[in-house]
Amino acid sequence: MGALEYDRVSFSYAGASAPVLRDASLSVGEGEFCLLVGATGSGKSTLLRLAKPEISPGGERFGSVRVHGEDVRALDPVASARAVGYVFQSPDAQVVCDTVWHELAFGLENLGVPEAEMRRRVAECCNFLGIEPWFRARTAQLSGGQRQVLALASALVMRPRLLLLDEPTSMLDPLAEKRFLGLLFRANRELGLTVVVATHSPAAMVEYATRALELSGGSVREVPLEGLSERPLAAPAPRADARVPAAPALSARDVWYRYDREGGWVLRELDLEVGEGEVRALVGSNGCGKSTLLSVAAGVLRPARGRVRNRLGASQALLPQSPRALLSRETVLDELTEWSRTGGYARAEVDAALGRMGLADAPDRHPYDLSGGQQHLLALEKLLLVHPRLLLLDEPTKGLDRAARERLAERLASARDDGATVLLATHDMGFVRAVADRVSLMFDGAIAATEPTGEFFATSWLWG
Amino acid sequence: MASARPTPFDACHAAVPATLLAGTALLSMLSVQPVYVALSLAGALTFSLVARGGRATLRGLRWQLPLLALVCLANPFFSASGSTLLLKVGPRSVYAESLAYGATMGALMVAVALWLEGAAAVLTQDRLLALSPRRARSLPLVASMASQLLPQMLSRARTMRATASACTAAGARLGLRDELVRTSTMLLAWSLEDSVERADSMRARGWESGRPRTCYRPERVRGCDAAALAGIVALLALCAWCTWETCSGWRFYPRMSDLGPWWRYLPWAVLAALPATLSLASSRDGGGGPRGRA
Repeated sequence: MGALEYDRVSFSYAGASAPVLRDASLSVGEGEFCLLVGATGSGKSTLLRLAKPEISPGGERFGSVRVHGEDVRALDPVASARAVGYVFQSPDAQVVCDTVWHELAFGLENLGVPEAEMRRRVAECCNFLGIEPWFRARTAQLSGGQRQVLALASALVMRPRLLLLDEPTSMLDPLAEKRFLGLLFRANRELGLTVVVATHSPAAMVEYATRALELSGGSVREVPLEGLSERPLAAPAPRADARVPAAPALSARDVWYRYDREGGWVLRELDLEVGEGEVRALVGSNGCGKSTLLSVAAGVLRPARGRVRNRLGASQALLPQSPRALLSRETVLDELTEWSRTGGYARAEVDAALGRMGLADAPDRHPYDLSGGQQHLLALEKLLLVHPRLLLLDEPTKGLDRAARERLAERLASARDDGATVLLATHDMGFVRAVADRVSLMFDGAIAATEPTGEFFATSWLWG
Repeated sequence: MASARPTPFDACHAAVPATLLAGTALLSMLSVQPVYVALSLAGALTFSLVARGGRATLRGLRWQLPLLALVCLANPFFSASGSTLLLKVGPRSVYAESLAYGATMGALMVAVALWLEGAAAVLTQDRLLALSPRRARSLPLVASMASQLLPQMLSRARTMRATASACTAAGARLGLRDELVRTSTMLLAWSLEDSVERADSMRARGWESGRPRTCYRPERVRGCDAAALAGIVALLALCAWCTWETCSGWRFYPRMSDLGPWWRYLPWAVLAALPATLSLASSRDGGGGPRGRA
């Protein structure tokens, strides 16, 4: 008897013309760490959700889904919550309570677990995951990585035998991702928990997984783990001549910035020069000031000291970390045409953008119905349609699968070839290698080093 | 790692500081008598310094002291009563009693504001919500979700406006009205989308399972908490009686009454000094208090 079994499962969303799943069959054994891979929009989330009746999507379903031998349709909410844990993608949206302790206890309270038993389970879970130092913190104070660990803990505290995770690390930086996966691996090996992770970027998880399944064309097939390891992105090579032009497009001199008087300096003694037509990558750990620097460069934040000169300030565009801060229309088509009058572009360019995103036949979809990665691409295409001379991008590859990252690298190289200057903040070193002319390493609010991309990676102890 | 900052009274059950501070603030509001108000103000100021720190207290006093002065100086012009004439400003007479009444009311307002600010520093939202009755177990959840929503929406609105202003290549910015409509529409859509995933997250963890919900209490009432509560209630009762005896015979106009026996102020002085004293004592214990919490 497997921990999770799908037997010829087909599923169609209400009103959809084609099924998402077609005779999908799989069996995951007890204690396995299974990856479920597939392109964005292939139906991974749908497949996982069918194993949790209380969050199953509405539509027509055939075939059976069994958890530890029992048909999930026979599970009531209590039995389902006890048997199957579920971790969602967004670290923000899935947190319900305002304190860590309350979030941990939330599920147990719902199940009517006696208080003494709750205390024991919460204590054990905190011990296992190392949550005790921030047990009494407010959830709003937590980093994205901590929030996702909290989401994992909130599922584990109910002691399920099967844990399903839907793109749990797509919003995390590489360090937080490694921490999260380390904890998940421990839960799998030390607690005997069966783990199924849906992901479109499996490279970081390969070393933990015992097997991988691919969802393609609505059906599931086994794929070798070796084939999922990280490979360099296929993208246009950086330009050979990466010298900074004599007149920089963007320069910052001795810039200092802090968000409030009581807070510490986020930027300090920062000097930066970005040449016109250059693609410059800003790399560095969380909190080193990358996003703040982008806002200062865009003129959104005014430095407390120092001077910023932006020759391209009249023709710039900023892609924020969350594309939803930019998406304001009801349909993908409306989104792309929003700035057509002021930006001076025609319908043909919009159609070309739709084609590049693979949404030519779905222009009327709501942007929020797209995956997180597709929303990122949509926001970027919207910005590129107005042909900005300066592009400021904050984590542009967050949530993107390999194919989308490659497409994005091509788009940036194309914009650069058209004369655009690009300043991007990212943790994605593979993307930096593929697209950047020069790399600036930020540390402690300042630029620690700026080098041509090849030289930067050749001499780097960490990323070389 | 984010961790909760030690606060005064974090070594006892929230009911203890809640009763003490709510009782003290309530009695302060009812004790319109110069000596009681002066004692309350001194106690509130000391407690604020201990619980919130000098900088936060001074920041508050920047608007509280002008308010006190305004009420004090304005009262004679609204209520020209009394028997001790100090001066005449045009046709208006300024009496010492009227000035004293204004000063008392101004000081009372400042004292109550300081008590409430101190209480907010000590009784964090989760501690207060944990005091909700067992029959209202969903109330803390609703309140905590609502309290998260507003700061999150404000932060998102700032990001949206900043992004819009940074995208100069898209042409001229929208007018204020259009910008507000755009931002509020985006915020609504974003929040609704989040709420769908949050609802799924709740259901995935047994929300609406049909079982009676139990309650995880991060704090438990122990023997010393019960004893402290009993002592505080007794002190509040004694203060209420003394205040009633003093204030029922007290008049500002036409001439201020005698202050009465000194011992009637003693319980009130002890009560006003108690929050700061207990806070200092707990900080001497090392901030965490003499015993651990669940």
